[in-house]
Amino acid sequence: MSWRALGISVIALSSFGAAEARPVSYPGGWTVMQHNNGNASSLHVHYSPTFQDSIGYYAESNWAYDWTFQGVQYNRLLKRWNTETSQANLYVKAAAGVADPFTGGDESLAGFVEIAADWETRRWFTSYSARGHDMGFDRHFSQSARLGVAPYVGDFGDLHTWLMLEVQHDPETLDPVTLTPLVRFFRGVQLVELGYTPETDRAMFNWIIRF
Amino acid sequence: MRALILAITALTLGFPALAQDQVASIENQSIQVEAVTVKANGMVCDFCAQAVIKVFGREDAVESVTVDMNAGEILIDMKPGQTLDDARITELVKKSGYAIVSIDRALT
Repeated sequence: MSWRALGISVIALSSFGAAEARPVSYPGGWTVMQHNNGNASSLHVHYSPTFQDSIGYYAESNWAYDWTFQGVQYNRLLKRWNTETSQANLYVKAAAGVADPFTGGDESLAGFVEIAADWETRRWFTSYSARGHDMGFDRHFSQSARLGVAPYVGDFGDLHTWLMLEVQHDPETLDPVTLTPLVRFFRGVQLVELGYTPETDRAMFNWIIRF
Repeated sequence: MRALILAITALTLGFPALAQDQVASIENQSIQVEAVTVKANGMVCDFCAQAVIKVFGREDAVESVTVDMNAGEILIDMKPGQTLDDARITELVKKSGYAIVSIDRALT
């Protein structure tokens, strides 16, 4: 089985590097993150030995750039700011693995580096991420940002709802700037996001679980 | 002589009762349960609260943990007769990724 076939079979295939979810968990915690936005789909399964680090498997199929990537991803919380009513984080993420072009060329050593930041209260959410890809046969930069508001503030264990707007900038695609309104549902250890991108006429579906 | 026998008998009969009182007293002390309220900064979402619950839940001394997000507090019920000292609680909150503000204790 080729890397591409394996990747496609493993992931039901998001917005790579989307600025929406914390890439680290509590010590000893596992996280499964799956993202789909029509242009790309990804699966990231990681383990956090500390609240500042996580490491795991990352796979992505990207139809905007025509490749599949699989590799090992490491995430590091560089700095966290905790206040009584808010939390802000600065992360760096890096992945190394192999990329396989849809066009049938040889697979290549590949990787990416990302910087991500977020700031959140119980009412407001904002985040930003920028990622540089080197797939061997394809090098590009992308970035995304989000703004969100919770229409009501729930307590622990309640169903939390967020209304968000994501802006994605992929300079080398047919639609370099896209806006995706989305709704986030969040309860306990599970998070689901549903959105729609008019520019590409694509739906977004993201799912995260921690255990 | 009779008085001496009576005294010894009284002491012999009374000792177990005294010992039982002491045991009961110790048992009463040991079934006291400590409730700890920890105020922490940064707990703004359920995932944050989950981290605290998982980290504190692994401690042998902890009976149950919950989070009051409105108050920014971690509410810990200890097992009877057990406790966590302030240094350990501070370490666990930091290990969860949050910043400790205060620790309050109450016996029930």
